[in-house]
Amino acid sequence: MSRGKKLFALSLLTFVVLIVVGASYSGHHGDPTGAVTGTATDVIGAQGLSGDTVPVSQVGINALANETGHLHVAVNFSWLLMTGYLVLFMQVGFAFLVTGLTRAKNAGHMMMMNVAAFAIALVAYYAVGFAFHFGGVAPVSNLGGLGPLTGLFGHGNAGVIGTHGFFLQSGHGYDVGVMAMFLFQVVFMETAGYIIIGAIAERISFAGFILAELAMGAIIYPIYGNWLWGGGWMAHLGTSLHWAHGAVDFAGSGVVHATGGWAALALALVLGPRIGKFNKDGTPNAIPGHNIGYVVIGTMILLFGWMGFNPGSTFGATDLRISVVAVNTLLSACFGFIAAMAWTNAKYGKPDISMSCNGMLAGLVAITAPCAFVAPWAASVIGLIAGFLVCYSVWFFDHVAHVDDPCGAISVHGVNGAWGVLSLGIFADGTYGAGWNGVSGNVKGLLYGDAGQLAAQAAHVVVGFIWAFGVTYGIFKVAGRFMKIRVSAEAEIEGLDMPEFGALCYPDFQLVSSAVGHAPQGSPPRPTSAVAAGTDVGGRS
Amino acid sequence: MKLITAIIKPFKLDDVKTALTELGLGGITVTEARGFGRQRGHTEVYRGTEYNVDYVPKVCVEVLVDDDDALRFADAIVEAARTGQIGDGKVWITQVETVIRVRTGEMGSDAI
Repeated sequence: MSRGKKLFALSLLTFVVLIVVGASYSGHHGDPTGAVTGTATDVIGAQGLSGDTVPVSQVGINALANETGHLHVAVNFSWLLMTGYLVLFMQVGFAFLVTGLTRAKNAGHMMMMNVAAFAIALVAYYAVGFAFHFGGVAPVSNLGGLGPLTGLFGHGNAGVIGTHGFFLQSGHGYDVGVMAMFLFQVVFMETAGYIIIGAIAERISFAGFILAELAMGAIIYPIYGNWLWGGGWMAHLGTSLHWAHGAVDFAGSGVVHATGGWAALALALVLGPRIGKFNKDGTPNAIPGHNIGYVVIGTMILLFGWMGFNPGSTFGATDLRISVVAVNTLLSACFGFIAAMAWTNAKYGKPDISMSCNGMLAGLVAITAPCAFVAPWAASVIGLIAGFLVCYSVWFFDHVAHVDDPCGAISVHGVNGAWGVLSLGIFADGTYGAGWNGVSGNVKGLLYGDAGQLAAQAAHVVVGFIWAFGVTYGIFKVAGRFMKIRVSAEAEIEGLDMPEFGALCYPDFQLVSSAVGHAPQGSPPRPTSAVAAGTDVGGRS
Repeated sequence: MKLITAIIKPFKLDDVKTALTELGLGGITVTEARGFGRQRGHTEVYRGTEYNVDYVPKVCVEVLVDDDDALRFADAIVEAARTGQIGDGKVWITQVETVIRVRTGEMGSDAI
């Protein structure tokens, strides 16, 4: 079959599938118009009372209460959607960040990956990912209950995967609450989806990349997410093993960032380093990015977007803890930046711009899990440690592990995601989180007397690593036998814009690197082509 | 006629131009250039890894002058471009067989 015919057949098939989905779920028992979401029940529930305590005869009061309940949920919808849009905007920041940190000859490829990631992973999450993730998350009181999402495979404490909400329709998923939840959660998934771009940059084939995004949107992110946020077994370590509140992850240091970071590590290992990154003796070469301005713009946009990422994770503005969350997030970001700036200045003589920006992102990633549970001083400490940690980690992956991670995705998101999860188990101060994961009392860390919480957090780190790294590594080891997941050496040296997409990002400029591709120790200058310079051609497994 | 070619630090270009204009400069050609001398570029650190900046940005200045003016002009460039630091650049003078002005077809000294 010709390519045209294949494309036509594929389009037709997609069309048919969507029609079938629409026809199969034509009976709506959810709440597609939003008219009955938000009632007196929500007000009574918010007061900690049960429906039985309010006399049914009080019709007028009930009508008033219904209106209040509707407003309660409406405020929360507004908050959730607005913060979701902020998280969506982080995609722009990431596109700037990773394109700036790579070479001009690949800029079109980098930008295309960022926008394609959004569309492809979104479709995968819409089809199956959301159902796997949140198909059994109900009840969520801030959003009117999310009544349709009651399908969870695995009983009691042993939930492993959600089963309602495929194509946002199965299990009566056509519902305003479900849609609000989907919008907020899909942009979170996109975050894990674009994190990997940082580590696979400048060498992955576009086909390999599409596979990675499909896997992330349909399997890797949603299933692990279910274990933490969808009612799954990790969240129930408190009720099953009596480890405090079970694994707690407020906005996803582990669920989102570490998952993305460890998947990035697996992909970087399978792909091997870029040509010219490492010498034959394993010593690394610097391959400077082409636009530090983009790196700074991207970092600032991500900081702004994080004001949705963390405070939005309350699922509602009626939870006034949002201000604490927002301020903790800013504190950690700034302390992370300062730590990385100070470290690079002390160690290398000048503050490194891109590492300082990575420090800010490290602070943001680390505070994402504990942001709602810690005091401002603790948020500052968490950010400070994150800033140092990211500098050390980037050095470690370059000089010791010899893993080529052009944008520091593994260090920023993987390592600091893990640190953020653990820090919750240390610094949570017992002022928030009553009844979290079905365990009574507030969430407390080691410093406030609950070692069980730290144990649950450690389990979160370990299980998260095994899942994200293992599944990604497995998928790409197998896929590598059937498809080209890395571009040819020729394309890599020329730059991927033309071979992969037929269009240069900067067609009016002559792209020459002045400083690329070999170690400085006393070697005479050589041609800028790394291959001509005799460096190791990136290993491909 | 002589061709004076000077490789100088980019930020010294204005000083050089001013100095030459005072001597009655007829015309000048300026090209952005990159290269290295005895220092073989210099070393920087990017994200914790050292790297060489092999080809340091420079400006290449070319001036056509009459034989008698060559040394005066070259000296003026050297004076104006000097900072005393490494990487100040070089100036050299080459013999030019003839020069033709494109618009009028004038040749030799008339074309300068």
